[in-house]
Amino acid sequence: MSTHRVRVRVNGTALEREVPADRLLLDLLREDLALTGTKEGCGIGVCGLCSVLVDDEVVSACLLPVILVDGRSVVTIEGLADRPGGAALQDAFLVHGGFQCGICTPGQLISASALLAASPRANEAEVRDWMKGNLCRCTGYYGILRSIAAVQAGAAEGDGR
Amino acid sequence: MRFEHTVRIAASRAVLWELLMDIPRVAACVPGAEAVTALDDDAYRGALRVQVGPIRVRLEGQLAIVERDEEAGTASMRLDAADRGSASGVAATVALSLGRAGDLTELRLETEARILGRLGELGQPIIKRKADQIIGEFARNLERAAAARP
Amino acid sequence: MSFDYVVPGSLAEASDLLARGGPDAHALAGGTALVLMYKQGLLRPEKVVGLGRLAELRGVRRLEDGGLWLGAMTTLRAIETHPEVAAHSPALALAFASVATVRIRNQATLGGNLAHADPAQDPPPMLVALDATVEIARGLTRRTLPLGELFRDIFETALVPGELIVGIRLPPLAPRARATYLKFLPRTEDDYATVSVAVRLAVAEDGRCSDARVCLGSVGSTPVRARAVERALVGHALTDHAISDAAALVAQEIDPLGDARGSAAYKREMAAVCTRRAIATLRDA
Repeated sequence: MSTHRVRVRVNGTALEREVPADRLLLDLLREDLALTGTKEGCGIGVCGLCSVLVDDEVVSACLLPVILVDGRSVVTIEGLADRPGGAALQDAFLVHGGFQCGICTPGQLISASALLAASPRANEAEVRDWMKGNLCRCTGYYGILRSIAAVQAGAAEGDGR
Repeated sequence: MRFEHTVRIAASRAVLWELLMDIPRVAACVPGAEAVTALDDDAYRGALRVQVGPIRVRLEGQLAIVERDEEAGTASMRLDAADRGSASGVAATVALSLGRAGDLTELRLETEARILGRLGELGQPIIKRKADQIIGEFARNLERAAAARP
Repeated sequence: MSFDYVVPGSLAEASDLLARGGPDAHALAGGTALVLMYKQGLLRPEKVVGLGRLAELRGVRRLEDGGLWLGAMTTLRAIETHPEVAAHSPALALAFASVATVRIRNQATLGGNLAHADPAQDPPPMLVALDATVEIARGLTRRTLPLGELFRDIFETALVPGELIVGIRLPPLAPRARATYLKFLPRTEDDYATVSVAVRLAVAEDGRCSDARVCLGSVGSTPVRARAVERALVGHALTDHAISDAAALVAQEIDPLGDARGSAAYKREMAAVCTRRAIATLRDA
């Protein structure tokens, strides 16, 4: 197995690591960097638990080899509060019942953050379409949609942080 | 998984029967079969290479004739093979029967197969389609082999 | 399991590495299909050739003749959101937007999508309906195929070892042509269609159909052009009756596999229903 020196910025911190060619970003985050906020669910890119941002785009860390992240920047749930609107999303989830057990929550927040950056005025259908890849077994999704809508409303009133 | 294939072959029942009971010659008709060697009168070991796009497996195992009735024109074979590399396996029984269809001989193959391990990830439809392709080509090769026989 | 990963700086080098690596050498584009099959234990590569440094394979641009170029290493998301794609055909953008989730689309590429050749994918039928041609490179040689000829069987393309998809070329759309993409997805167990239909129609001033392309996904081992349906439409007025009759012909053109997304019989029936709906949608647009 070939190994490769990879430079990546994680939550604002520049890192350099030597990784085997088949190392996945999810395992690098959880095992090598002890950033266990990103969860492993299905392992096949469907459930959304492992959602992270790479160069501000939301991706499944379980399908992304670290070698493809060389030279790029990664934001995980641990770094969300430092992102524009990140803290507002977190607060909204707390206030509007956006989570219960919490296992899908990091992924929900990361996806919602990417959504609001890409389409801040997305309507409900567009929000549902974007977020459909983040599965939740607890909330029935209502609290998640309410939370996102609240942030959109707050931002509309100039309240976003 | 069940497959049924019926083919009409331009050869006599007797010629076809003899061919079918000759496992090395039968194996030569199976696309992807290789390294067939006899273990005893009714059992053989060999390998089968199968490819679906970039996915390739080499199933190694045994084929045994477990029942035969020349008069009735029926036989039953059992196949057990595994691909250690992909932690996959196939366990299958094939019931064959020969009948008359005008001037042709009708060969009917009823296969019951269990796909074990990773190979199962391909999904039933793909596996069925591949099995159909292999058995279809097998039947065509069988016909050629039967015709070549004096 | 162990493999070597290399990232060549040129198309020629990439072709050479893949050709010499044989069946155990695989190209890595976005990685969604490759990583998935690798994790499933279905692929055991010895060499993986990364295409990330091949800048010439990236990008979307309008061509001088008014057509559209889609580079193979462009992500599905980049294509979905590119203004030139929507300008060419909103249905084209929709077909790309219909793939899985935004996470997959951010990572998966056009070339990877086409090379994977799963007959249930969304982009291929739409691209075929828009008369796409695919440019293929092997070292310094290039060849071009109508896209429909790229797909041979499930997961199998016409690419020979060493060949790489460079991009897709779409001819300019005729002024009176419209297109639509209909993805029938009654279940949410996965994101592949039970049946999908891509239609492009041109309607003459007298109201008769002057040109038609109908291509279906998930109804066979490759995307299927329903030529009988096309022939039945051209030269006729698009009445409900004519559309229904034409759509019914799709049954003889397809050979769907029964699976968790629907039995073969169900897909056969829904293919006709969806074809009819897609054509009617275009007529009424």
